[in-house]
Amino acid sequence: MSKLLLVALAALPVLAQDTRDPRQIILEVQKRQHSESQRYEGTLEVTSQGNQVATKRWVYQRIGSFGNSKAILRFTAPAEVKGVGLLIVNHPERASDQWMWRPAIGRDQRIALQDRSTRFFGTDFSFEDLEERDVDQYSYKLLTDEGGMWKLESRPRKSSQYEYSYFWIKKDNYTFVKIEAYNKKGLVRTIDYKNYEQIQGIWTARSTEVFDVARKSRTVLKYEKLEYNLPMKDDDFTLQALRRDL
Amino acid sequence: MMDAALIFVALLAQQFEQRGFIENSTAVYPQIAPNDSGRVVDELLFRDEASYKVAPWLTINGGFDARTDSHRQTARDGVVDADDRSIQRPAFSLRRMSGTVHRGKITAEIGRQLIRWGKTDILNPTDRFAPRDYLSNVVDTDFLGVSAARLTYESGGNTVDLIWQPWFTPSRTPLLNQRWTALPPEAAGVSIIDGGARYPGGSQYGARWNHIGSGYEYSLCFFDGNQNLPSFDAALEPSLSSVALTRTYPDLRLYGGDAAVPLPWLTVKGEAAYFTSSTPGAEEYALYVIQLERQVKEWSFVGGYAGNVVTREAASPLQFAPDRGFAKSFVGRAGWTIDVNRSLAIETAVRAEGSFVRFEYSQLFGQHWRATGGIAWIRGDMTDFLGEYRRNSYGSLAIRYSF
Repeated sequence: MSKLLLVALAALPVLAQDTRDPRQIILEVQKRQHSESQRYEGTLEVTSQGNQVATKRWVYQRIGSFGNSKAILRFTAPAEVKGVGLLIVNHPERASDQWMWRPAIGRDQRIALQDRSTRFFGTDFSFEDLEERDVDQYSYKLLTDEGGMWKLESRPRKSSQYEYSYFWIKKDNYTFVKIEAYNKKGLVRTIDYKNYEQIQGIWTARSTEVFDVARKSRTVLKYEKLEYNLPMKDDDFTLQALRRDL
Repeated sequence: MMDAALIFVALLAQQFEQRGFIENSTAVYPQIAPNDSGRVVDELLFRDEASYKVAPWLTINGGFDARTDSHRQTARDGVVDADDRSIQRPAFSLRRMSGTVHRGKITAEIGRQLIRWGKTDILNPTDRFAPRDYLSNVVDTDFLGVSAARLTYESGGNTVDLIWQPWFTPSRTPLLNQRWTALPPEAAGVSIIDGGARYPGGSQYGARWNHIGSGYEYSLCFFDGNQNLPSFDAALEPSLSSVALTRTYPDLRLYGGDAAVPLPWLTVKGEAAYFTSSTPGAEEYALYVIQLERQVKEWSFVGGYAGNVVTREAASPLQFAPDRGFAKSFVGRAGWTIDVNRSLAIETAVRAEGSFVRFEYSQLFGQHWRATGGIAWIRGDMTDFLGEYRRNSYGSLAIRYSF
């Protein structure tokens, strides 16, 4: 093997970490946010255009990480939706599978791909926004590299309600600051990540604010009792598990 | 000592889940019916459901109903009915009382529980362990629990469900002297006596295999037991110049399946079952549903056709069969979520000789209160399943406090 080739091979990891490569930036974000599991209790305040405020609460649990994770989200308030649950099974090569469980009718319902742009239970999150897709399901372009932030464009390679999104990522700790998501007609949603804190060594937003541009409606999700790397079992992220709890 | 007690209470709270509601619903009927002059029916229902996780693998579930009404639909003897198979609704009943054991891929639930099979929404031919309460409304019903042992094995995309129901729970039918029992014109002037029910002995069992693939789901199922909707034996009582009607429940064996396929523009769901019976004179038939559904922003649409094919005619026409009644119907539902607190829904069923349409508006007030108002309009010919209820068009208002 020639010396030149050896030098080239040795340089590969350095090239792979080149932060001007947008895919590498996303990979680094995911690496720094990696955890084997996560649990939090979320409080959602939905403020509609007419300033009507509705408060909901859910418990979120995830096992696995980006593109290969499973999550169960279960409402705990208000009383009339207590027990309603959503199972999300993310796949590295395609969009997630999702099922909703409604205890009042004792049935689970598969959420079809074409329905993923629908708002999730009156919040400003769509079903698709609750997915964690693999990095390779998007193509990325670095748009600006100014100040302390990168601005990236992300285009989904698979079926999505969005045509493209803009990400703003902080350079010092590789955390998302803001996302703007667009369809063919224009801006659909903005997502702002706020109040970052280090939890178990992971920079974590303690609140997320979603704004639905068409409806002029806003949802603020506050993360409470957030913990990473808790012991969890695969068996607790199945359809049976979704049906099991009240 | 106080700290230990507080920790103990906190631990208990973590393992205990509860939800419930109290609801008052009023139905107003502009027209009287031949067998019922009441125009206003008020019902009050208290429902509480709770579960307690005794251990990570063991959960105890309970559900309790207490109710009363203004129309003698609910018994007033104050007895707690664990079987929930009386002619009238019990004032107090156990909707659920079961233990769930979960180990690895296996889940077992034993006791009184709600079991639902099937994938479609407008009619479920394979939903055999889910008797319904038709007593105060044939077109808007609630489910009853059954006493059963259910064993579920789930591995990857496959789920096998085995159910044994040691004793029978029937669907609750409308009272013979009330408007949701539509008597044929020939019965005019005949005194009808409720002869009660002859419940079948023996147990019922069923098995279902469900497979989830990449972008589709299907299942196959088998059931052996009894029809939970009654046929009626008529006996002439010359001394009283009347006819006594007694509910009977024919044997039933079902072979069925269902499927759901999400396509790029809509989701197609189908469900079908073939019913055979060893009871002489009982009908044999196939029931099927094909349904399309789609969500567009805040709108949801479900529409489809329910059909049936009779392979052996019933010897007697005296039967209560709303599942068959909705066959040969186009059924649809459109829902609109206006905002986080308000929604609107329109439901319809259209048959050759009858139709039903219902508008419903629902609004949440604060965190606990919900008001739901509706208007249902039923038209058709007296020979039609829906048409026979044409004097039962109604307006309704339900006020619910959830806790």
